[in-house]
Amino acid sequence: MKSSQNSFNNFEGFNENEYYITPSEMLEFLYCKRYTYFMNYLGISQHEEKRYKVLKGRTIHEKKELENANYLRKKINVVDKKINVSMVSKNYGIKGIADEVLTLSNGTMASLDYKFAEYNDIIYKTYKMQTIMYSLMIAETFNAEVTQGYILYCRGKNVLKEIEVNIKEINKLNKYLEEFKKVMSGHYPKSASNKLKCIDCCYKNICVK
Amino acid sequence: MLLWVIYDISDDKIRSKVSKTCLNYGLYRVQKSVFLGDVNSNALDELKIILEDTINLDIDSIYVFPMSKDELNKAGLIGQAFDKELVSDEIVSKFF
Repeated sequence: MKSSQNSFNNFEGFNENEYYITPSEMLEFLYCKRYTYFMNYLGISQHEEKRYKVLKGRTIHEKKELENANYLRKKINVVDKKINVSMVSKNYGIKGIADEVLTLSNGTMASLDYKFAEYNDIIYKTYKMQTIMYSLMIAETFNAEVTQGYILYCRGKNVLKEIEVNIKEINKLNKYLEEFKKVMSGHYPKSASNKLKCIDCCYKNICVK
Repeated sequence: MLLWVIYDISDDKIRSKVSKTCLNYGLYRVQKSVFLGDVNSNALDELKIILEDTINLDIDSIYVFPMSKDELNKAGLIGQAFDKELVSDEIVSKFF
């Protein structure tokens, strides 16, 4: 469970006793719903801090924060940016910290998320939904129009990918948020259909198929 | 998949770190600087990142070769061979 919620306390109407779903939790949920059951409902830690790739990803995040502090991506017409922005959406019951919140030249805003991963010709549903979550939070926090979000794949060639924010994707997210809440109320969900996901899962010893 | 890790590292400390990492990931020591074992794709990816961060990229070299069990059986071995069954976890799976 994510511990520190202090930075969110400045938000009007933020109730720290209420459960807010974070983009990271949604990523785990979409990978396998049982993840959320074991980690968030039963409170069994996945000890991700022991995984080298997670630690490396965190180091890269910190490095990017320092290195690119004043860098504006001209290719996507960025005119201003904020780094590590804590945001809350009361409407959707979500909260999170975006790596970057960009202001584009057309007046709209967009999120940019660094991923310590390689781009393999496909943008996964997990990343898409995270971007949609950030977009909804930006729209509510900054009262701005958000039409797209960006993902930067740090491994390989630093590929930057755009994700469109539309009503279809928002509806999908709404459905997932409802399912997430159902799991958090004690519903034991089905495991991931793709069993390849189970090979390296930290809960495979306690997960009954 | 089966994975070969073969290295040429000059610094003792770095070499020791690399060999320990290989053992931690379940690889068997086939020769002094040759390791082989059964790993999943995520472990392979993680191992490559760790090895890259450990060695001196200017002077050291590590070869990482994935291989299927069929290909291992086709491989030629001259002289004192290692226990192929042990490496591909076939013995372990007989016990459990």
